[in-house]
Amino acid sequence: MKFVAITSCPNGIAHTYMAAEKLAKAAERMGHEMKVETQGSIGVENELTREDIEQADGVIIAADKQVDKSRFRGKRVLEVSVTDGIRRPEELIARFEQNEVPVYEGVEKLKSVAEAKKERNEKQNPIYRNLMNGVSYMIPFVVIGGLLIALSLAIGGEPTAKGLVIPEGSIWNRILDVGVASFTFMVPILSGFIAVSIADRPGLAPGMVGGYIAANGSFYGSDAGAGFIGGIIAGFLAGYIVKAIKRIRVPQMIQPIMPILVIPIVSSLLVAASFIFVIGQPIAGIMEGLTSWLNSMQGASKVVLAMVLGAMIAFDMGGPVNKVAFLFGSAMIAEGHANIMGSIAVAICIPPLGLGLATLLGKAKYTDEEREAGKAALAMGLVGITEGAIPFAARDPLRVIPSIMIGSMVGAVIAMLSNVADHVPHGGPIVAVFRAVDNVPMFFISIVIGMIVTALLVNAVKKPVDVEK
Amino acid sequence: MTVTQLMTKQLVKLQLDGATKDEIMEEMIGLIDEAGGLVDREQYKQALYDREREGSTGIGFGIAIPHGKSDAVKHPCLAFGMKHEGVDWDSLDGEKVKLIFMIAVPERYAGNEHLKILQLLARKLMDETFREQLLTVRKVEDVLQLFETFQS
Repeated sequence: MKFVAITSCPNGIAHTYMAAEKLAKAAERMGHEMKVETQGSIGVENELTREDIEQADGVIIAADKQVDKSRFRGKRVLEVSVTDGIRRPEELIARFEQNEVPVYEGVEKLKSVAEAKKERNEKQNPIYRNLMNGVSYMIPFVVIGGLLIALSLAIGGEPTAKGLVIPEGSIWNRILDVGVASFTFMVPILSGFIAVSIADRPGLAPGMVGGYIAANGSFYGSDAGAGFIGGIIAGFLAGYIVKAIKRIRVPQMIQPIMPILVIPIVSSLLVAASFIFVIGQPIAGIMEGLTSWLNSMQGASKVVLAMVLGAMIAFDMGGPVNKVAFLFGSAMIAEGHANIMGSIAVAICIPPLGLGLATLLGKAKYTDEEREAGKAALAMGLVGITEGAIPFAARDPLRVIPSIMIGSMVGAVIAMLSNVADHVPHGGPIVAVFRAVDNVPMFFISIVIGMIVTALLVNAVKKPVDVEK
Repeated sequence: MTVTQLMTKQLVKLQLDGATKDEIMEEMIGLIDEAGGLVDREQYKQALYDREREGSTGIGFGIAIPHGKSDAVKHPCLAFGMKHEGVDWDSLDGEKVKLIFMIAVPERYAGNEHLKILQLLARKLMDETFREQLLTVRKVEDVLQLFETFQS
């Protein structure tokens, strides 16, 4: 047989070499070949080469010091103390002869499943990881806001031409305000913690400030903010800007004020500037363009219009595109085309309801956190709060957004074809409860079909999540 | 460099007086100290006992190699003592120790020639005939002669 061995002891003066000598002699005497690497005070001597290890039938490590074993993965490895190497080298070799030494599998196998998965996640996609971080901090805000708004609308709301309105001064109005307050934080928290995931703590403030600006169109002369998609952009911008600034080498004198003064201010201003001067304008422009496009489509096929509106409603869940479609539908009620709002009302509730259903159907594809968010989404869907779907969409936009868009399109088209109409600018089953809907049975059928389409689609394309515990 | 540069006449004692491990340790530290190898005797002793606590340096075959690496050592030294009656050294094989090599190595020392010598010695000691030869030696000069044969 061919052996390789490593000997090492704490001082590396004597034992290392005694063991090396004894092992080599014993191997020779027993008719084997052995090369011994010594790791002593002098350093590594007689170092084992890759070929040595490849050719070896067995590996003996006689050491009282940590020896890196990674080179020996897949080899039969016997680990003993250095004195065993001196005292009973023959015995050690005999254990190989009797085939008693197990193969060393390497560290990976010894790691817990969770660790291995975590490692894989880290290798996965940093963008996905950053999104997840932002979303997990955002979820409570969505849940608080969504549920409180849903509750106050459902109990305290009254259908009017302006949508569901809660009378001033009622307790439900207060509760609504609390929910709205929580919703206000949604996008800033999302972008803030995306930035934190990229650039650590210094990313938080610039990310949140950027997210706030993204969500408030007034900063860049737009009727609507850039929604959660804008928030994601702001988060990544802030994160990478902060990361870049952190890399700049500055004189010793300035170093102490970098993290508290220079980095937050400079990066916040840069994020704000890019929104106001670079990204904001196109958003306002797109909104105008979409509005006039929708207006021009009034004469076009109803089915096409329903598809477009359904897709727009679901696309950014309360963002600018959603707003354009919603405002168009509201305006059409006054023009006597309540059927357009009917399609929209169906499309509005499909993303949260469909994703809520998806979490119930495909438990393995969602984290515990997401499954909780799924229940909240169901509640939000019932009262027409599309934002309930945002946690899912923000975490995995490329799979979730197309699924909900298709679901909403299907629902909107069915509603349009069956002449469902909604006379209140609001969506979801709640408007039917308030008797603002014509053709209630088809209204519900459209919603249910849209939900099912969404849930099946999203579960078909989503990968199972690794359980993070 | 040869072993005799580490092991001078003064550092060899063919008949150790001490009857216990501790006494012999003290006696051999004394040899190294008198030969001018130490800066701080107590500190070196501490290093020796620290090493001993990690596991007895009585490696079997009747050999003990107490060794200490310390700032208290001025230059590398190798002391050699014999105790034909044998002394209990908590050896790994339970056997009594007859050949004792005490090694003193400075924490920092230019070059590693001395380490190579000690390495050679360590390897040589694993040779049974060499050990037997050592035990039959009656004169200090003959001991040095024996070690003279290997060098790096």
